[in-house]
Formats: sequence, C-alpha cells, structure tokens
Amino acid sequence: MSWADGVFWLLAAVALLTGWRVFRTDSMVRASFLLLASFIAVGAMMLMLGAAYLGFATIFMMAVEMMVMALFMVMFMMNPAGLNPMVMVHQHGLAIVAGLVTFAGLSAFALSLDLPDRPLPGGAEVIAPLGRELLGPSMLVFESAGVTLLATMLCVVILSSRSGRFGPSDLGSVPPAVDPAIEEDP
Amino acid sequence: MMGPLTALPLTLCVLFAGMILVGVLDALAWRLLGRVPIDDDDRLTLGGLRAVIRRQSISTERPDLAAWRLAPALYFGLAAAGLALVPVAVAVGRAPVDVEAGIVVWGAVEALTVIAVFLHGWSSNALLPLMGAYRFVAIGLSIMLVSMFVLIGAALPAGSLRLTAIVESQRELWNLVRQPLGLPLFLLLGLAITLRGPLDYADAPDLAGGTSAEDNAQLRLAWQLARAAMLVAFAAMAATVFLGGPLGPVLPGPVWLALKAGLVAAVLVVLGHLLARPDASRMMTFIWVVLLPLSFLDLAIAGLEALR
Repeated sequence: MSWADGVFWLLAAVALLTGWRVFRTDSMVRASFLLLASFIAVGAMMLMLGAAYLGFATIFMMAVEMMVMALFMVMFMMNPAGLNPMVMVHQHGLAIVAGLVTFAGLSAFALSLDLPDRPLPGGAEVIAPLGRELLGPSMLVFESAGVTLLATMLCVVILSSRSGRFGPSDLGSVPPAVDPAIEEDP
Repeated sequence: MMGPLTALPLTLCVLFAGMILVGVLDALAWRLLGRVPIDDDDRLTLGGLRAVIRRQSISTERPDLAAWRLAPALYFGLAAAGLALVPVAVAVGRAPVDVEAGIVVWGAVEALTVIAVFLHGWSSNALLPLMGAYRFVAIGLSIMLVSMFVLIGAALPAGSLRLTAIVESQRELWNLVRQPLGLPLFLLLGLAITLRGPLDYADAPDLAGGTSAEDNAQLRLAWQLARAAMLVAFAAMAATVFLGGPLGPVLPGPVWLALKAGLVAAVLVVLGHLLARPDASRMMTFIWVVLLPLSFLDLAIAGLEALR
C-alpha cells in the first residue's frame, strides 16, 4: 500500500465518520460544520484524483454553503443560539428505510459500474478543458442548475423578509400566547 | 514546488516576522494617530504577553470547548495556508505551495476564515460573542462576494488561476493600474477578515469585544496573534495579485515582495485606525448597493481589457 492509498483511506474514514456524526450531534451549527468536514475530506479526495479546480472549488463552495445553511437553519428553527440541545433526526422509520434503500442502491450502482481507469499524465492541463465543457456541451445543465438555485434563494429571502410589496408581512398577526390564561381573555 | 521540509519552516518564519511587523505597525499607529487602545491585551509587547499567560482562566456556562479553543488555531492555520500560496519569485514553482488553482485556494481560505470567526463567537455560548459572530458572517460573506469578482478580474489578464501566472501577467503593467477598482475593494475584504476598523463587526468595542468578549487571557492572546497572522497573509496576497508581487528592478524578488506586502499591511493598519465603523445594516446596504456593482464594473473593465 503506497502513502497515497493511506491518505485516501484516511480521508474516506474522516468523510464517513463526520458524515455519521452529523446525525448524532445535538446542534444544527455543529451538524453543519461536521458536514463541512465531511465535504472537505471528499474535496481532498478529488484533489488526489487530479481534479485541481473541482477539489478546491468543492472545499470553497461547501465552506460558504454550510455557513449560510447553519445561519438559515438557526433563523428558521427558532433555536437562537444553536447551542440548545436538540435531536437532529425525525421520522425514524421512514429515515431508516430511505437510508438503507439509498445505500443499497448507490452501492449496487457503484459496484456494477465500469469505472474509467485512465491515469492522467503528470502536469496535464485539466482546468481549461473543464471550463470548455461547462460552458460548451454541458452549458444547459450547468446554467439550469445555477438559475434554479438562484431562484430558490430569492424565493427564500422574499418569503422570509418582513417587508414586502403589500406592507409588513406580519401586519395584524398575533404572537403565540405563552401563558394559556392570556388566550382565554379576549 | 518546494519540498515540505523547506516550505513549512519558510512559511512559518515569514509569518512570525510579519506578525512582529504588524505589532510594531499597530503600536506606531496608536502613538501617531492618537487613538487610545481599547484593551492593552491587544498590544503584542513582551510584558503584555507575560501578564496574559499568568492571568486566571475563566469560562462560560456550557460552551463548546473544542470549537472555542480550536478557532484561533483554525484562524492561524488558514493564515499560514494563505501565505504559503504566495510566490516568492517569478517562476513556476517558486511558491512554498504552487498549485494550479492558487487563487481558488485563497478563496477557500477567505470562506473558511468566516467560519473560524463565527465558531470563535458561537462556541462560547454567550450573548455578545454570538451577536458579533452573526453580524460578522452577514458582512463577511457579502464582502467576500465582492472580493471573488475582483479576484476573477485579476486572473483574467493572466488567463490562468495560478498565482505565478498572475504575477507574470503584471510584468508590463500592475493590476493596480490596469484594474484601478481592484485593490481598494480587495483592501476592504482585508479589513473584514483581519477584524479591523470599519469592517470589524466581530470583535468591535460596541459589543465589548464581540466574539472575544468571553475569551480568557490565553485564548485572547492566541486570537490576537492569529489575527496578526491573517493580516500578513492578506498583505502578501494583495501585493501578489495587484502590485506585481516579486517583480521589480535591481532588488531581488523576495525583497520587493516583502516591501510591497509591508506597504499593504501599513495601509490596512492606518485605515483600520482612521475609518469609522457604520451600523452593520447600513454597511450591508452599502456593500450590496455600491461595492458589489463596483466589483462587477471592475470585472467588466478586466474582461474588456482581456478581449482587446
């Protein structure tokens, strides 16, 4: 086993372990950053495969994404600090079945696939061909994914913002009663 | 690329030397600009260091201790990673770590820095640090977006994401002149990721120290050192991308790089002392309404220049 194999297995172990901890931790902020650690390990594996741009871009994009995700989850979940303990999993039965089916499906797919085995020569140009592919033959997929994501983000911001075209969105709304006695009194 | 046995000590030595310079610059700025330091711990003097290490250790209720203690290490590590990317001479392979997508790696350093600062504030489980952390993320992510467009613009004339190629592309004309909007916008990112002056929304005195408010003395010291280290890395990167890095007549490349980086660091320190910090929401509007369009303009100028 060469040192590269060792590094690969180490990264794989980190990716799996942190991925598992995402569901076992008790805080959304911790879950986000554990997921980030998992993605960083995957990004490092991509670097080992010679994908210079994609590997670093994965690390970079995931850092921004997980930060935003942690923030939005805390904002929408009414757990102001994110340090209050909470259970990170729900719908246990469904989750277990879905997880097992997905794992079996992806494993079968990976094992049955005839994976390419074409080692790149050292110092081969990889970034420019990737750019040509993304903005050439794969333009439609690339752009539709990008525009869909942008539309989703805009929708989230519009739905969650207080002021809109028709005035403050919480106009006339009543805060939930904390004390049941207040609710009875009109 | 240098071997790890050369690259690591070289990077760390330069980083420590730079941190001493930052301490001197900060002390000079305090003296010359007549500002009283908020906290004497912020000064990197030997007497201060001794006092800090001896001080009693405190903690908050149910903090995330691992994240709290590791945040300064992450911040410092990111600074070292950023500095390691900087080419010390003009030739492929003359950076401690010379990678094909160097400028993207620097982008990852910026993004992870925001996370380090957030974790530093969040993990103490206290009000003021948490407010500093959230505020910083909002501003930090927005200003990072500006810096991304500016960096893409700087990579355009080189036709490469490699930092040595970006330096090489400035042989005729520095990016500072070719893309006049680039460096000023990038400096604002520098103020943000080194938690300085107008963009210090993390550790500002209006939150009694923000993310550092609950730090014990040792952690605070570690955090201030990491903050100085990030300024060194940022100054070296700004000098590389906009001031031609090691390019220059007569003197050897590394000397030119050190001079330019020192100048950028001095400018940042002075700006940090002179500019006022607006309200976070106002700064947010300013970034999205003024700075982001300016970065688009910068990119357009760079694109037209590259097409010519």
